[in-house]
Amino acid sequence: MNALVVARFTLQEAISRRLVLAGLLLSGLFLALYALGFWFIYGIAVQNTLDPRSRAAPLVAATILTILGLYAVNFLASFLALFLSVGGVSGEVDSGTLLAVMARPLRRSEFVVGRWLGYALILVVYVVAMVGGVLLLAWGLADYGPADPVRAIALMMLSALLLLTLSLFGSTWLPTIANGVVCFSLFGLAWLAGVIEWVGGNVGSQAMVNTGVLVSLLVPSDGLWRGASYYLQSPIMTELLPAGRDYLPFASIAPPTAPFVAWSAAYVLVALVGAVRVFGRRDL
Amino acid sequence: MLHDLSLAVAPGEVFGFLGPNGAGKTTTVKILLGLVKPTAGRATLFGLPSADPAARRRVGYLPENFRFHDWMTGRQLLEFHGRLAGMTAEERRARIPEVLERVGLAGRGDDRIGSYSKGMTQRIGLAQAILHRPALVLLDEPTSALDPIGRREVRDFIRELRAEGVAVFLNSHMLGEVEMVCDRVAIVDRGRVVHAGPLRPLVAGARELRLTVDCVDDGLARLLCPFGRIVGRDATTVTLALGDGREAADVIAAVVGAGRRLHAAEPVHRTLEDVFVGLVGASEG
Repeated sequence: MNALVVARFTLQEAISRRLVLAGLLLSGLFLALYALGFWFIYGIAVQNTLDPRSRAAPLVAATILTILGLYAVNFLASFLALFLSVGGVSGEVDSGTLLAVMARPLRRSEFVVGRWLGYALILVVYVVAMVGGVLLLAWGLADYGPADPVRAIALMMLSALLLLTLSLFGSTWLPTIANGVVCFSLFGLAWLAGVIEWVGGNVGSQAMVNTGVLVSLLVPSDGLWRGASYYLQSPIMTELLPAGRDYLPFASIAPPTAPFVAWSAAYVLVALVGAVRVFGRRDL
Repeated sequence: MLHDLSLAVAPGEVFGFLGPNGAGKTTTVKILLGLVKPTAGRATLFGLPSADPAARRRVGYLPENFRFHDWMTGRQLLEFHGRLAGMTAEERRARIPEVLERVGLAGRGDDRIGSYSKGMTQRIGLAQAILHRPALVLLDEPTSALDPIGRREVRDFIRELRAEGVAVFLNSHMLGEVEMVCDRVAIVDRGRVVHAGPLRPLVAGARELRLTVDCVDDGLARLLCPFGRIVGRDATTVTLALGDGREAADVIAAVVGAGRRLHAAEPVHRTLEDVFVGLVGASEG
């Protein structure tokens, strides 16, 4: 019950600090710009098709445009997750505002979980709205249909929640700035590992693939995006292409493995439990 | 480092917790509220271990260097704290305007705390501390950042709480402050209580008389000996701690009777500061 009071407080903070207003405006701008770009480029792709009956080139164009748009959305959601929670606990500790709050009959765990719930709600709404927006635009402009939008959204949500939980965990024991540096570095590392794995897969280097896999177990955010990207492509595309060849450096033509998704979900849970435990022991 | 500290505050009593900076006053309060875990030993509040959130149900707290969320309005802050304190929507609706009025922020409840002056922030802090009608209010250096008018307001506020039967625990190094409002005090130095008890006998404890004469010599000292103990002397003044049953008037009569010119005879009031410096100084020696 107290956790819900803290979650409400967290949402109130996001609204009062104009985060929600800025987010709505910028997201609207992003979608408008995306629609314009999609319309131009897709139009050129259709025009340049030699055989007007061939639907292959427009489909490739629509797929790439959709994946690119959602790749950008995934970055935005990741940044939002990190920025929201990077000082979720440490900011309150540093400013001294937490003393009066924690002197209430409120458990440390309730504060951490309430913070998490508030941020998670913002992220869930953001991911659904933005991914839904991009997919609706692609459908309206190019009649594009992804393989499985629900799974894709679920995986992108898991990725955002994972980063959120990681940085909330960091904020229970690191000062805000240090936590920001650590979390963004880990996020960048996961991205880099994804690229290494992709290159390794294409040049046939098992060592590079293994490195990528190892890092993506440490920080699964990029791996989850790649999993989501599989479900975002048109099923026709993945069937047309020769097996084992990723045609885009930031998308995958293989679905995520169940153990990897389970690992990521467990990761969120362990990081949240870790945050509760570390904050529970901390002197304020 | 705190040693074996046991303090009891009765309803309707203002208890002063005194000590020099770094004596462990804030740490004590934080341990009581479960904000800091004791490295060894345990703390209890209302008979409950301080780590148990239920122990904090009837406590109001104003932290030292109070800061509140500047993005909130005063009313939102009280709403939030009211919910955390377990007040129902109905209780909050009735009580929040009441406490805003009480601390003199009735017209400013819907302004952001970020726009408040230091004194107003202080007052919203006092409002959140008494919001849920606590049985015990812990105030940690509540006046250290305030101007004289703000200090007086806080003193009046503390007296009102006492009149309502609330126990007030006041943490302070401002002795004048404590002397004006506290019923009992504990003086703590380097984690140990060096004195605990009612304030009045502590301050009024010794009767002393300071005499100003032309010249203080051994003859005068011998003359004064039967009346008590000389606790201080210089060229022209001598301070005498009166013995039992000895009166200032007799001392004066004796001095004048011996043919000495007496310029002044004044009773010396020991202030809490004297007591404090004496106690803390002694424990340092």
